[in-house]
Amino acid sequence: MSAFFGNPMVTTAALPLLLGIVLAVIARPRPALPASSSVLTLAWSALLLFFYWDTLGPPAVPPVAASQKLIYLAFVGIGVGLLPARILSARTAGALAGVAVAAALFWLGWRRISGGALDLQMIAAIVAGALAIIGAAMLMSRTASVPPTVEEPFLAPAAVLATALSGAIISVLGASIVTGQLLGSLAAMTGGWCLVQYVATLRGSAAAPWSKGVEFLLLYANATVLIQVALLAPKANPAALILSPLPMIVAALAHGPLQGLLPGARSLRPLIAGILIAIPAILAILAAIVWAPHGAALGFS
Amino acid sequence: MRTRKLIAALAFAGASMLTSAAFADNYEIDGQHAWVTFTIKHGIYGIAHGQFDAVKGSIVMDKADVTKSSVKAEIDVGSIHTAFDQRDNDLKGPDFFNAAEFPAISFESTKVEKVDDKTGKVTGNLTISGVSKEVTLDVKLLNEAPAPWDATLTKAAFSATGKVSTADFPMAKAAGGFGLGPEVDIVIDLEAVKK
Repeated sequence: MSAFFGNPMVTTAALPLLLGIVLAVIARPRPALPASSSVLTLAWSALLLFFYWDTLGPPAVPPVAASQKLIYLAFVGIGVGLLPARILSARTAGALAGVAVAAALFWLGWRRISGGALDLQMIAAIVAGALAIIGAAMLMSRTASVPPTVEEPFLAPAAVLATALSGAIISVLGASIVTGQLLGSLAAMTGGWCLVQYVATLRGSAAAPWSKGVEFLLLYANATVLIQVALLAPKANPAALILSPLPMIVAALAHGPLQGLLPGARSLRPLIAGILIAIPAILAILAAIVWAPHGAALGFS
Repeated sequence: MRTRKLIAALAFAGASMLTSAAFADNYEIDGQHAWVTFTIKHGIYGIAHGQFDAVKGSIVMDKADVTKSSVKAEIDVGSIHTAFDQRDNDLKGPDFFNAAEFPAISFESTKVEKVDDKTGKVTGNLTISGVSKEVTLDVKLLNEAPAPWDATLTKAAFSATGKVSTADFPMAKAAGGFGLGPEVDIVIDLEAVKK
């Protein structure tokens, strides 16, 4: 049993996928558990912390290395995510997301930044960080349509799934395995959620949306781990790093100008929106694999 | 009379300091002849070896009173090699030595103990990835002599061994996640040029 749970493929993919499915089933729209329920936010927070703890270990006091700071940033995301819905309005959430991701970029990267080496990877890390700030702020500041469009509940989850999946592959191929595992867990968990919601949509039900709180804590976790990869993974592909935060921006645009690209068919709208959001992530994965320093050999040497 | 005593005391103190200084020799680590190597248990299989190529630092050796000796050294994390590029990259990454954030490993002695004429124990702070831990190295002075080709160049050669644990540094996943170590055996062989 311990060998089963010690297998990284179980803790990075199978278990989070299963937990994402379970959470999505629990959260199916019903009067007892609305999207804004703090029970759901707490459940996501607990799952998030479980995977942080499993991959990064317990919090170090005080945190010195950037990898030790990640779990504290997750706590910040959870703290903001648990704020009452009336405080986390679209405008406030957008501003908070931008400021919080920018602060994380500075906190995680100050040693690298103060080191003064402006090499290609550092430039890529700064660009990826800036895009993550813009993406998180844009996505968090969108307001819900009345009535909501069928694809709307999928936009933020699809952005997290695409960004985390591409980030995981970039990370592992870039010689940072632990952050790759963590992003892989985030992607699988969100993937499990999306799967259940899409099946529900195909069956004619409405997909359960994320509250602003859940969106914040998952987008924030995603963005901060991705920034860590960009700053510190020694062989992370610069082009892939720059492409990887773009799904957040595309997801925000899918709520606006890109909406015209979505078909009229109800069941296809979330699928096409998901594909649009995934395009930069697919390009990022291709770039990471094609220019992988040692071929696409995943795993520790 | 009082002035004479004071002058005598000062002269004695000065002479003592000069004697002490005369015994304390300064050396600079010869980076071209320095091998900082380590071995670590590799999963359920064998022993993995690695080496840092770029080492610099200084040694003060007081032959009259070895306890007054000291060592200060810095290792470039980017110079690590294990005879396999991909593994070298993994070791430079944030899961292990985190070279981008902490490009150097440093050691600064805090205590030197004499064991016998040629051996001693050097205790000091080893800093890896921003975290300092006290480690003790068993050090042996192998030889000190002028170079056969240049009488003005005197070198001393030292050999040191020690043990650290990956769990003490921000690479705790090494043992639990990757099955490495956690104990790391260190062997250092280096030559130092007398200044």
